[in-house]
Amino acid sequence: MDPLATCPLEVDGLIIDAIFYVLAAATLLSALAVVSCRNIFHSAIALSACLSIVAALFALLGADFLAASQLLVYVGGIMILMLFVIMLSQRPATVPLQRANSQWFWGLLLSGVIAWRLLLSFRQVFRFEGSRTPPVPTTIALGHLLMSDMLVPFEAISLVLLAALVGAVLFGQDLAENPPK
Amino acid sequence: MTLYHFLILSVLLFSIGLYGVLSRRNILSVLMSIELMFNAANINFVAFNYFRYPGQVWGMGFAIFVITLAAAEAVVGLSLILAGARHFGSSSTRPGTAPHD
Repeated sequence: MDPLATCPLEVDGLIIDAIFYVLAAATLLSALAVVSCRNIFHSAIALSACLSIVAALFALLGADFLAASQLLVYVGGIMILMLFVIMLSQRPATVPLQRANSQWFWGLLLSGVIAWRLLLSFRQVFRFEGSRTPPVPTTIALGHLLMSDMLVPFEAISLVLLAALVGAVLFGQDLAENPPK
Repeated sequence: MTLYHFLILSVLLFSIGLYGVLSRRNILSVLMSIELMFNAANINFVAFNYFRYPGQVWGMGFAIFVITLAAAEAVVGLSLILAGARHFGSSSTRPGTAPHD
């Protein structure tokens, strides 16, 4: 039986709100750690934490398949690849790099202005409450959508993946040591 | 928990990622900040799907495409970074810098 159904609606909403605020604060803190850590290895660990918390937010929004694929593809695939590249490309003496380049002030100003304008525009445009629906499994619906209405982008993305694979192999080989015959 | 909350969260996440892209010195950190911006977009897709179109899964489908494209981008970017690190001896965003810079 659905555990949410036994809960009174106000208490249920309060718990969901509390979970959201904790997850949002953790997301923003780990994202700040990604862009402010001096050691790039610590940045990568913070990024994997941030991606996992975003997966939890997806689960909170009822996107179960997306949360699982976020964990599998991002945290299990991309982040491991990034850690490998960090360990391969950074010399041990150069790992604690200087973190910001000379345009950090203008970057901070531009991103701050964009965030401020976007927040203001949301305030003017969006004035509605959300309607909470009980979570239902979405895997079957997503599979039907990918195989029917989204078939063309699905095939296009498989071509993109093939091209990325070929490109990664091409750029990854060491031409100086193994010249093409 | 409304759509407004999720929009604020994704704006802040996007701005943090934009600041990272513009200001980090190491190109690997730039790539990680781009992943943050992708995630902000994904949160928007899923939140609009949940609050505006309950019962449909189009937003989640697009988020899956975004995740796939992020994986492809990360693979190509990381192999380029490796090739650059082999060639220049560092992965700084300033070309021609000494390895200890």
